[in-house]
Amino acid sequence: MLSTDIINNVGLNHYLVLSALLFVTGMAGVLLRRNIIVILMSIELMLNSVNISFVAFSKYMGDINGHIMVFFVMTIAAAEAAVGLAIAVSIFKRFREVNIRFFEHLKG
Amino acid sequence: MTADSFLFFFLAFVTLVSGLAVVLLANPIYSALCLAMTMVGVAGLFVTLNAFFIAGVQLIVYAGAVMVLFVMVLMLFDLRHELAAFTRGKFTGTVKIATVGLLAGLIVGAIMMSSGMLSDRSAQASDVLKTGADTTKDLGTLLFTKYVFGFEALGVLLLVIAIGAVSLARSKGGTHAKH
Repeated sequence: MLSTDIINNVGLNHYLVLSALLFVTGMAGVLLRRNIIVILMSIELMLNSVNISFVAFSKYMGDINGHIMVFFVMTIAAAEAAVGLAIAVSIFKRFREVNIRFFEHLKG
Repeated sequence: MTADSFLFFFLAFVTLVSGLAVVLLANPIYSALCLAMTMVGVAGLFVTLNAFFIAGVQLIVYAGAVMVLFVMVLMLFDLRHELAAFTRGKFTGTVKIATVGLLAGLIVGAIMMSSGMLSDRSAQASDVLKTGADTTKDLGTLLFTKYVFGFEALGVLLLVIAIGAVSLARSKGGTHAKH
C-alpha cells in the first residue's frame, strides 16, 4: 500500500522533491544556456523553487516566519531581475550580442 | 486519488514541464512564455499550501511585473541570429548535466532519509497554518512589528534599484545607439 499512500497523501516531502527538481532545472538552465536573458530566467526559476520549499516548511512546521522570508525573497528577486536586465541592455549596447561567449572576459 | 492530491500533481506537472521548457526551448520568447506559466503554477502551489497572500503577490510581481520586464527587454534586442544558444562542447555539457543530476539525487535522497524526522514535527503545526484562516493577518502583523526594519530597508533597496536600473540602461539611442 506504499504506492497509493504516496499518491493520496501529499505531504511535505512531495513539495520538497518538487522544489528540488525545479531548482535543478533552473541550475541546468544556468549551466547549459548561453543566452543571458534565458540565464536570468533560470535564476528566477531557482528562486521560485526555494520559495516553494519555504512555504511548504512554513505550513508543515506551523511557523509563519517562512512566509515573511518568501515575501523578502520575492522583492529582492524582482530587484535582481531589474538590475540584471539593465546590465543585459547595456552589455547588448556595447557588444551587440546576448551570447555570454562574447563577453566572458568582461573586458570592454 | 483525492481532489487535493490531484490538484498537487496537476500543478507539479504544469510547473515542472514549463520549467523544463524554459531551459530547453531555443527561442527566448517561448522561454519567457513558459516562465510565466511556471509562475502561475507556483502560485497555484502556494494556494494549495494555504499561503493566499503569497500566491497573490507571486501572480502580481512575477507573472505581472517581472515577465513584462523580461518580454520588454527581449523585444529591445534583435535576436534573429541567436536562436540556438546552448553550451558548446559535448564533454563540458555532459559534465554539467551529470553535476545537475548528482545534485538532484543528493537533495531527493536527503529528503527521503530525513522524512521520518520531518513528519514527526509536522503533527504539531498550529491550527492557523493548517486551515489558512488568518495567515494574511498574521503575516501583516509580523511584517510591521518584528520585521519592520527589514521591510523599510526593502523599500530603500527598491528605490535604489529603480534609480540604478534606469541609469544603467539609459542612453541617447536606447539599444540601437551607434558607438
